[in-house]
Formats: sequence, structure tokens, C-alpha cells
Amino acid sequence: MTAKPPPPPTAAADITTPAVRLEGVSRWYGNVVAVNKISFSVGPGITGLLGPNGAGKSTILHMIAGFLKPSSGSVKVLGSPAWQNWQIYRRVGLVPEREAVYPFLTGYEFVLLSAQLHKLPDPHAAARQAIRLVDMEQAQARKTGGYSKGMKQRVKLAAALVHDPPLLLLDEPFNGTDPGQRLRMMALLREMAAAGRTIVFSSHILEEVERLSDNVLVIVAGRLAASGDFHAIRRLMTDHPHTFTLRSSDDRRLGAALIAEPSVIGLELTDGRLNVRTSDFGAFAHAAPRVAHENGVTIFELLPADRSLESVFSYLVSR
Amino acid sequence: MNGAIFVLTLRQLLGKRRALSMIALAVLPVLAAVIFRLADTEMTPQRWTATHLLDGLVVTIVLPLMTLVFGTTALGMEIEDGTVVYLLSKPLRRFDVISSKLAAAWLPAAVLLALSTTISTTIALGGSNLSILTGFTVAIVLGSLVYSCVFLAVSVFTNHALIAGLIYVFLWEGAVTELFTGTRYVSVRQYTLGVADLIAETSRRTFHADLNGTAALVLMAIAGVVALALTVRRFSRFEMRTSG
Repeated sequence: MTAKPPPPPTAAADITTPAVRLEGVSRWYGNVVAVNKISFSVGPGITGLLGPNGAGKSTILHMIAGFLKPSSGSVKVLGSPAWQNWQIYRRVGLVPEREAVYPFLTGYEFVLLSAQLHKLPDPHAAARQAIRLVDMEQAQARKTGGYSKGMKQRVKLAAALVHDPPLLLLDEPFNGTDPGQRLRMMALLREMAAAGRTIVFSSHILEEVERLSDNVLVIVAGRLAASGDFHAIRRLMTDHPHTFTLRSSDDRRLGAALIAEPSVIGLELTDGRLNVRTSDFGAFAHAAPRVAHENGVTIFELLPADRSLESVFSYLVSR
Repeated sequence: MNGAIFVLTLRQLLGKRRALSMIALAVLPVLAAVIFRLADTEMTPQRWTATHLLDGLVVTIVLPLMTLVFGTTALGMEIEDGTVVYLLSKPLRRFDVISSKLAAAWLPAAVLLALSTTISTTIALGGSNLSILTGFTVAIVLGSLVYSCVFLAVSVFTNHALIAGLIYVFLWEGAVTELFTGTRYVSVRQYTLGVADLIAETSRRTFHADLNGTAALVLMAIAGVVALALTVRRFSRFEMRTSG
């Protein structure tokens, strides 16, 4: 991605009003509570909404985007209520989670349509610039119906950027992108954030949020489980006791040696596998190969048994 | 109205398969007229054209089916596949979105119906009594506008717009309004026939609508405006449901 994103509009420079503010927001569908009394503010930079599937991230993003009415509380975007306020879309760009695009339009036509609907003075120039930003010039003449999932994500991002919004909302933007595309998209988003824009994106992948976000909001079961600097939250997560499953040339010998390690808080040998509980997986990751080497044991397999985000998030909620 | 949405919707509606199906539907009355001309029948061309061709086939079947397909697809398809998000996330008055959708749904239906009515009526009448042609063509074009308004409204109120529309056309208009006279005031088909009768000025023996022409015209306007207002209101409060 060689093209530089244009400077943000002056509205983005207004730092007195948070770009996004939720106060006591809940949303329920019948008896099901999807989002429960959430409050937070988001300013310039990249904020990641992190949580397992079904946690309520998309519901929150949809309320911020004005597509869902909060059952209670208020959602303000750039100082204005989000619900039933079509004027906010002059300053908001949205990349929805759903893959659907108009399959009969080419990539260029799709982005041009977005520029035309924003009534930009030169929609063709804006469309060309946005397509260049997401590195889709090669495929812009092809119908979007034939695009891969990653290409659709990029063309959706181009359509969201075409009017150069100070606030960008992205719902699982890296779904379906290959590692190279993901890195380029991340670099572009970082450049845009550095230029003063506010970017809010949702993800259930810890590593995506870690790589991209300055600020993290952890959503679990419709509640805000943690918020703030990613590294502080990451520390909370690494404090979470972890279980690893080991398979080696001599599980008994290795287990006897590992129990002496301070990072190991328990172990058991079942079905020919060694299950090790650790309070500090960083220290354990260093200790395990060293101890194995010292005892002449070969490790064949070392797998985290509980690395699902759900277990980490459950831990955060219970704290 | 928004030109970009109008063109986008026309491209959505006029995909090859749908366009061919609608053209085939529009050709049906023409084929019926040709068969009538070739057949040996005692009925006068005026009476057959008004009651069988135009009332029985065009107004009762072709008009509602064609507007049902275009009207429910114009916005319903985007709601169904989620692409409506690209319209909802733009700084556009919701009335502009809906009026563009309505225009795009109505235009192809009106053109096909007008052509179908004109050609089939001309063939069936053999060039005589143009008042039937004028009356029914104007009424059918106006009826297609009202039907489009109604079916566009149905598509924003239910995910099963096609089924709801078919129930309205065949159960309500086809059966209920025939059985209970009072319900004819809530039937776009009856409005269309009333307006056709008003303009065509045929003899009672040739064709007679159940609704008074002026009342039909007023009810047509009310139905169209109410359906449009409800659609805009509903679309302004439209919620995109999420998976999580």
C-alpha cells in the first residue's frame, strides 16, 4: 500500500467531545439481554472490541452505527445521537461483518456507488483514491460476486473510506483476509489512526487486537469485562491459570522434574498424557524445554488445553 | 429521488432471469388476444377484451404478479441479504431512498404492462373502440404504481413479502372481495377497474366496474400515499439484527 491516507477532516480534530460515547446502554431482544448496562467513551486512535462470538460486540457496533435502538441508555456519535440520525453518516464510515456486496457491480462500481451516495463533488476521483488505498486496483474491474472473502473485505473498506470519515467502524474486518492482506490493512488503519481518526473495530481474535489496538474493550456475555490499555489487560489474561497437555518420551520423568518448577502449580498423568497447570505460561514455556533437555526427555507435543478465548474471558469476568 | 439508487435498483431488478420471466408474463395477454382473433367466438371483441382479456387476465393476474415481483424485490432483496446496510449507512433522507426504490420498481412494470395492454388490446379489438384501450392502459399504469407502493411497504414489514403479497392478491382480492362487497374498498384491483371504467366510458353491457370511478381514483391516491408513508416510517426505524 503505497498511497498515503488523506489528512482527516477538521471535525476529527475536535478532541473535547469523544467520538463515541455510550452511557448505561442495554439492548435486549424479548427476554434475552444482548448488551447489559455498558458505558464507555472512545477518542482518536484504534479501539478494539474484543470478545468471543455472541458476546454482544456486533450489537454494540450496530448501536454505535445507528442500526439498532438501545433499549435503555444513550449512544452518541461525534456528539449526536446515533439512532435515527442519518446525518451522522457524513462523518462515519462502516465496514459491516456480513460478506454480502452487490454481486453484479464491479469493485470500482461498488466504491463509486458509495461516493455517489455520499454526494461527493468528484465521486470518480474519490473512488479511485479509496481503491488505491486498499490495494485493489488490479481487481477493480471484476464483478464483486467473483471476489474472495478477503477481497470483499478490502472493497468494503474502500467504500467505507471513500468520503474520508473521521470515525471508522469495522465489524470483524479481518475475517477471510490472508496474512499479507491483514498486515497491509492493519498498516493502513494505523496510518489513519495516527492522522487523528477514531477507529473502532470488533474481533474475537486476541492477536488481531493485540497488534492493532491502543485501547481495548473486552465484552463478555453483553457486559464490559475489562477496558483500557491492551498490555494491562493482557497481563490480567496471562495471570489466568493455564493448562497444557504434554506428550513426551518419558512423561513420568518429565512430570517429576516439572513439579519442582515455581510456575507449575499442579499436574496429572492421564491416558498417556501429562496435563500441567501453570500460573505463568510465559515462565512455563521457557521452563518446559529446559527441564526436558536436562532430564534427557524428548517432548513430542505441547498443547495449551484451555486457550479458548471463552476461558480467558470467563476468568476476566469472574475477577 | 436519488439517481444512483434508482440505477442500482434497476440493475438489481432487471437481471436476465427475472427480466425474461416478466417479459414472458407480459406476452401472455398478447398470445391470448391472438388466439381470440383466430378462434370462432360469439362474443363481441369489445366485451371479450374488457371482461376477459383486460379484467380477467391483465388486471387480475399479470398486473399484481408483475408488481409483486418488482415491488417486493426492489428493497426486500437487500434486506434479506444484508446489502441494505450500504444504503442505511449513507447520509440520505429515508424518503429519498424509498422514492428511488419505488420509481425503479414501478418503471419496468409500468412499461411492460402498458406495452402488453396496448398490443394485446389492439390485436383483440382489431383497431376499433380506442376508449377501452385508453381507459385500461391509464388505469393499469396507475394501478401498477399503487400496487408497487403496497408491495414495497409489505417488503419492509415482513421477511415473507412474496407470500404475504400472494395471499393479498389471490385470497383477498381474488376471493374475499368477490364474496363480500364492502371489502372492495380495500382492493387495488377494484380501484384499477373503477378508474378504467371511468375513462373508457363503455356501455354497461361491455364492461362495468363495481366501484364508482371517482371513488376509485380517490381511494387509489389514498392507498398509494398511505403505503408510501408507512414504508418511509418503517424504513426510518429499520433495525439491523446481529448475530452477536
